[in-house]
Amino acid sequence: MSDFRAGRLAAVRARIAALEAGGRGDSESLPFGDPRIDDKLPGGGLPLGAWHEVFGEGLESETAAAPAAFAALAAAPLALRGAAVWVLRRDDLHAPGLAGLGFPPQRLIQVLARDETEVLAVMEDALATTGVAAVFGEAEAVGLVAGRRLQLACEKRGGVGFVIRRKPYGGAARGAAIGAAAASRWRVAAAPSEPAAGDLGLGPPRWRVGLERCRGGRPGAWLFEAARAFAADVLRGKTDGTHPLRLVAELGDRDLAPAQSFRLAG
Amino acid sequence: MRRLAGVDPAAARLGLFAGQKATDAAALAPELVVAEAEPEADAAALGALVDWCVRFSPAVAADPPDGLFLDVEGLSHLWGGEDALMADFRARLAANGLAPRLALADTPGAAWALAHFGVDGTIAAPGDAARWLEPLPPAALRLEPALAAQAERLGLKTVGRLTGLPRAPFARRFGVEALLRLDQALGRAKEALVFRRPPSPWVARLAFAEPVSVPEDLARVSRDICGELCARLEAEGRGARRFELAFHRVDGLAPALSVGLSLAGRDSVRLAKLFAPRLETIDPGFGIEVATLLALDVELLSPRQRRLDAGAEAALEEGLAPLVDRLANRLGEGRVWTACAMESHAPELAAARAPALTAGLAADWDPELPRPLRLFRRPQLLEKVIAPVPDDPPLQFRWRGQLHRIRRAEGPERVAEEWWKHAFEETSPERVRDYYRVEDHDGRRFWVFRAGLYAAGEPAKWWVHGVFG
Repeated sequence: MSDFRAGRLAAVRARIAALEAGGRGDSESLPFGDPRIDDKLPGGGLPLGAWHEVFGEGLESETAAAPAAFAALAAAPLALRGAAVWVLRRDDLHAPGLAGLGFPPQRLIQVLARDETEVLAVMEDALATTGVAAVFGEAEAVGLVAGRRLQLACEKRGGVGFVIRRKPYGGAARGAAIGAAAASRWRVAAAPSEPAAGDLGLGPPRWRVGLERCRGGRPGAWLFEAARAFAADVLRGKTDGTHPLRLVAELGDRDLAPAQSFRLAG
Repeated sequence: MRRLAGVDPAAARLGLFAGQKATDAAALAPELVVAEAEPEADAAALGALVDWCVRFSPAVAADPPDGLFLDVEGLSHLWGGEDALMADFRARLAANGLAPRLALADTPGAAWALAHFGVDGTIAAPGDAARWLEPLPPAALRLEPALAAQAERLGLKTVGRLTGLPRAPFARRFGVEALLRLDQALGRAKEALVFRRPPSPWVARLAFAEPVSVPEDLARVSRDICGELCARLEAEGRGARRFELAFHRVDGLAPALSVGLSLAGRDSVRLAKLFAPRLETIDPGFGIEVATLLALDVELLSPRQRRLDAGAEAALEEGLAPLVDRLANRLGEGRVWTACAMESHAPELAAARAPALTAGLAADWDPELPRPLRLFRRPQLLEKVIAPVPDDPPLQFRWRGQLHRIRRAEGPERVAEEWWKHAFEETSPERVRDYYRVEDHDGRRFWVFRAGLYAAGEPAKWWVHGVFG
């Protein structure tokens, strides 16, 4: 093959890659800092320039506390670079709690939307804005069109979005698997904490996290721990550069079985 | 005793006057129709009139019960002279069924005197007020009626005679108040007017030869007027945080739109974009003849330097600030915020809301006191709680139809009520809360508290106030 031909081919390949990435060059990613999870993710980390779906089950589908905590900590390294926007339906996100987990709250803008459509519209607007590092939104479901719009907004600036699935209290469950446009889909549940030996009380919060679907990656399940929960340095905006989520163990499939719920008579 | 509060022109021709006894008036004119005076309604109408007058000048002060001051300094050129301004004002008031007495002078005092006692429509040239005031009676100085009557009894029948008096004896005889009124009328003392809204010199005004009402026209008008005011702000190195766009309709109503900016700005395109989606809420009625744009909270804003290595600052200016403005103006101001720390013992008050992008917010919550990620607005009552007495965390409870067995717990953190905020009698140990952080067998973490202190024989009440992630 002549040099000329090879050059043409390389140029065409580069153009196709650029088109697929929505006009951006290499798609960036944010590593968790542990090969046990990073190896399974495309590009060696949480893909940026895309949005991710995070959800919990049972009680968590209404309170959405564990999914919110996981999403916040996964994006915490980004929140140090720029502002974060959190779009709420219910006004119950407590900033001191978020700060205690290790998410810097100083540049978190909270937005209370009136309905589901508005949540997605505000997310889209925020994702396309310079200076916004991460966008979180609490929505019940994301339709295909809305999901595609979010994806386009993410690609515009390489922002990262998290849709935290949450249904209203007492509301009926709506379509479960509507996250087709999301780059990845995470199932998050709280896990029993393990305090240090001899320590009374609770240990750092832990989560059982299952990656159910990931474009260009492989599914898996892991046990995470908040590495810097309730530490003083985060509140002052100081970090040592490590990821606030520490991977404790990789879980097999059987560990992922939904936790049994006690049902007592009476 | 009932007295007449006001008379219409027909009654005045019959010799009736305000302040006359109702019985006397009825004797003079048996067919007299009387209606109860409504001072509150009059005051409200005066307020509405003051609002309406903003189309002429941003600085309007009500002068109850029946007058108003209009500061027209530097405005008359918009009409092409003071007499044209006054003629327009008179014509528009007349169109609304009002018969005003107008006067224009250097000081509010002189203008008041000429309007009430001088020739209607007097325009006193600058520095000429004293000459115009001379022939007026002392009551024109806004003196107490008793004082004015006393001055007339003493033979001081005109203001001109009063001004000629030596000051010290004048003050002794009529009081310092009267001297102040005289000085105010002559411009020797300042007078503070209470303007209906803070006067802002940052006002732009567009008047149309033909009333406009088409939405496209309103959009163009808002663009033009934003451009005009922003150019002025730019030239003076200022920016404003709040803009009020008012459309003055033919029928006297003036629907207004207001937008707020998170950072002071003067970008006319951005401003017009903020107004644009709300223009459709404006009802143009029979047409809009004047539009005014008022800039409030004006502050110094240095010209921006375009730099290649502009960092966080530029991101704020170009991205975040417009985003916050868009959201706050579309959703409402209370719906966009940043949390900041507030010194309070009540956990629900510890995170206050500050406008987004406020600089230097405190976020120094005590890391030793774990707080939940979701804090419920109202604590929810737990059922079927099993907890050892007197002071132990629960072993199990039922919440939202699900039984939770507690595996680990830490606490208590005692939160007492803020007793210094209430009367002593209202404080009670019932309002003490002992908070525990508990974790059930599945790892869910809750923030629960027991209300009140332990009392033998009474079941303790347990509440959940939030959930940790």
